[in-house]
Amino acid sequence: MALFEARNIHKRFGSSVVLEDISLSFEEGQVNGIMGPNGAGKTTCFHCLTGHYKPSRGSIVFDGTDITGKPPQRIARMGVSRSFQMMNLFDDACVIENIILALPEFRRRYAQVTSSVFNDKVLLTQAYEVLDQVGLLGQEWQPSLSLSYGNRRALEIGVALAANPRIVFLDEPTSGLGVEATRQLVKLIQKLRDRYTIVMIEHDMRFLFELADQISVIHWGQVIAQGTPDELQSNKWVQRSALGAVA
Amino acid sequence: MVTLSDISRRSGQWITPQIAVFALVLLSLPFWIGPIGLYQYIGVEIAIWIIFALGFNLLFGYTGLHSFGHGAYLGVGAYAFGLFQLHVGVSLFGGLLAAILAAGVAGAVVASFVSHRRGIYFALMTIAFGQLFWFGAVKMHWITGGEDGLLNIPRPDLNLGVTSFDLSGNTALYYLIATLVIVITILTWRAVNSPFGRILQAIRQNEVRASFIGYEVWWFKWVVFTLSAMFAGLAGGLFSMAQESAYPDVMSLHQSGLIVMMVLVGGGLVNFWGPILGVVLYFIARDVLGAITETWLLWYGLMFVAMVMFKPEGLAGFLAELKRPSEPETWTKPAEEQ
Amino acid sequence: MTLLLPHIFNGLTLGLLFALIALGFTLIVGVMEVINLAHGSLFGLGAYFALTIIGAGWLSDTTFGVWWLSLPIAPRYILALILGPIFAGLAGMVLELALRRTYGKVPLYGLLLTFGAALVIEELIRLGWGTGEQFLQLPQSINGAVLIGGLIFSKYKLFAAGFSMLAIAAVWVFLEKTPYGAIIKAGAHDSEMVRALGFDLARLRLLVFGLGAGLAGLAGVIMVPIWGLRPHVGVDVVIPAFLIIALGGVGSFWGSVTAAILVGLSVGITGAYAPAWSMMSMYILLILVVGFRTRGLFGKKSALEN
Repeated sequence: MALFEARNIHKRFGSSVVLEDISLSFEEGQVNGIMGPNGAGKTTCFHCLTGHYKPSRGSIVFDGTDITGKPPQRIARMGVSRSFQMMNLFDDACVIENIILALPEFRRRYAQVTSSVFNDKVLLTQAYEVLDQVGLLGQEWQPSLSLSYGNRRALEIGVALAANPRIVFLDEPTSGLGVEATRQLVKLIQKLRDRYTIVMIEHDMRFLFELADQISVIHWGQVIAQGTPDELQSNKWVQRSALGAVA
Repeated sequence: MVTLSDISRRSGQWITPQIAVFALVLLSLPFWIGPIGLYQYIGVEIAIWIIFALGFNLLFGYTGLHSFGHGAYLGVGAYAFGLFQLHVGVSLFGGLLAAILAAGVAGAVVASFVSHRRGIYFALMTIAFGQLFWFGAVKMHWITGGEDGLLNIPRPDLNLGVTSFDLSGNTALYYLIATLVIVITILTWRAVNSPFGRILQAIRQNEVRASFIGYEVWWFKWVVFTLSAMFAGLAGGLFSMAQESAYPDVMSLHQSGLIVMMVLVGGGLVNFWGPILGVVLYFIARDVLGAITETWLLWYGLMFVAMVMFKPEGLAGFLAELKRPSEPETWTKPAEEQ
Repeated sequence: MTLLLPHIFNGLTLGLLFALIALGFTLIVGVMEVINLAHGSLFGLGAYFALTIIGAGWLSDTTFGVWWLSLPIAPRYILALILGPIFAGLAGMVLELALRRTYGKVPLYGLLLTFGAALVIEELIRLGWGTGEQFLQLPQSINGAVLIGGLIFSKYKLFAAGFSMLAIAAVWVFLEKTPYGAIIKAGAHDSEMVRALGFDLARLRLLVFGLGAGLAGLAGVIMVPIWGLRPHVGVDVVIPAFLIIALGGVGSFWGSVTAAILVGLSVGITGAYAPAWSMMSMYILLILVVGFRTRGLFGKKSALEN
């Protein structure tokens, strides 16, 4: 059985239907891609899967448990993590605090009011490990606002990983990144693919085709094509937009 | 830029040099307050309002929840203390405990209505509840004494079992409150640097992200609201003890606004010490400006407006910038300091 | 039921007056997303200006003052009804100039700035007009009582309610049926469009704030004969205005009018049975509604929630 499954998701806002009927399933250990034109409903779909929106119809099952309509914090605690397209960090906090806040080890201490945080060896060790993974070692005490754009993206992913998730949703991880930063991101995701199940929304086709095991194409609120990158090469819609992307 | 969430290099300590200096100033105050032209009772007032302001800033500055009705809990504490002395028995700890609990319960009830609200609706709801308490205090004269309030509340002795201290003098009362202030300052300092405190700050910075990394945001808001109401209740209990009376005025929108002004002017949005600076500045302004001109509130108001316009980081932000050039911020791993 | 009728009527009248009070507040909140806590103080300021105009103020000993005071009350009142709000509007514009420093920051700063301004205006009023209770003279034609269907009504309350209806209608027509209204409404959410149409956004904001403050002043001149005038009248006014906005939902014109009438009715009817608690009923109404409906009755999503 798939690790994460969405069945017949339908989402409307008032009278406008954004997601018609979406069914997706993500196997453990795979890198899954979601693509589609702007306004196709990709981000709305992510919001539904991670609990930000409640789907109007349909069900979402994670690891055998029905999580439809559960609040994001519950879903997050079960091991579903996500990053955001518009960066969504704790801006007054330094880099390492962004990571620490997301550590399950830290979350367990939520009711402690007199113990300190920044000289707690256990927390620091775990945080450094995550920072190492996303390549932010050496900048851990910088204010997160002072990071370069690419590094903020990396931190965004780091926060998602710090929760030690079973599945990670990345919303447009390459958005706004230059060529060099994108290349680094490819390396990072190749490193991560052994440890996590990954789902990415992405408009950069080459990036997605290089990394994904399985790709779903969303258009008009529906899944119009699904398959491995090889299978999708022959898809008409994909070809058209791939040409556009290359040119 | 300075923010509340900057990590102090001494965040892991119980007593930092600042706290030590603060404690020294507080404890020595009775010896120099007279000579500098002020009087003992202002020390009592300042100390009481510091307790109120520290608790308020947990909510206002640290969690970013802008309550405009916090005078209500100060008032609830004041009435609870007074009613306890008048009807239950003359006891210091009983009265203070009653004040803290009553304000805590009031705060918890209000918090369950407001902790799912955000931004302006949160502020509006806190005002509405604040007015509700004020109105109740004015109208329920058979309990509260109406507009006149509770009068002739006895000042109980401090009874420590082996020995007991008479608190009828303002200096003795001051020492009791100053001791409480020191303990509360240390606890608050620890709290804002503890996991619980850092989560509150995370919620201020980005509520959405906080819930996506697994935190029940409303629970934290509920707890911190209740907690700050309890601080206010303690301050209120001490206030009615100091005044030997409790009246509805402290619950008015005016008072609730004053605490916001004090905390902001002092720099509560950017610094732990902000609320304390703000309280001291307000009371000194009241007495020094008040001695010169009857319209001192006009000048205080103008100063506040100017502060919001040009320096919303307040006095603490201003001071931080003054010392910034001479002391460049260099980060070291706190773990290595041990 | 017949016993209740006068209270319902009374409540409706009160509701219309509340709507008048909230009108300028709604305009500023809806268009500029600024909670103007100085609204009540501008209300007071308008009324104090009117007081001075009717009584000639410090000019009362000059020949002009003597001549002015020798005129019948009606023309003096009418001039006060026009100039009082205009002065309040000008004061509002000064406040808007100060507020510019807070645009683009968190809404809290606007709230705090206007709170400070309310304090300053109140103190200025104490300085200029003293701390005592004052009364506004009224022309004979709208003073006294009138008998309708066997019930006695205050003529002035009827006048005030009618005037409120007119003011509400005028603001609505202005916002919905004139090109200026369209631009003002666009200014709130689409500054690009306003610029494209060739309007200066800064000037638009100044105008809207002036208008809102002017409406506050107008409400002041109209309300004060009923409520009395004292320096801290601002607090008594800004709180109901506030509650009405929250109840009706930020940014909704008819929401706030409906809310005002609901508040008026609840205060009026509670007043019939438990007069001491009549004002409290509006807080309970708010808590009940906003406790269950996050954005009040008709509220839209607003930047003020952040």
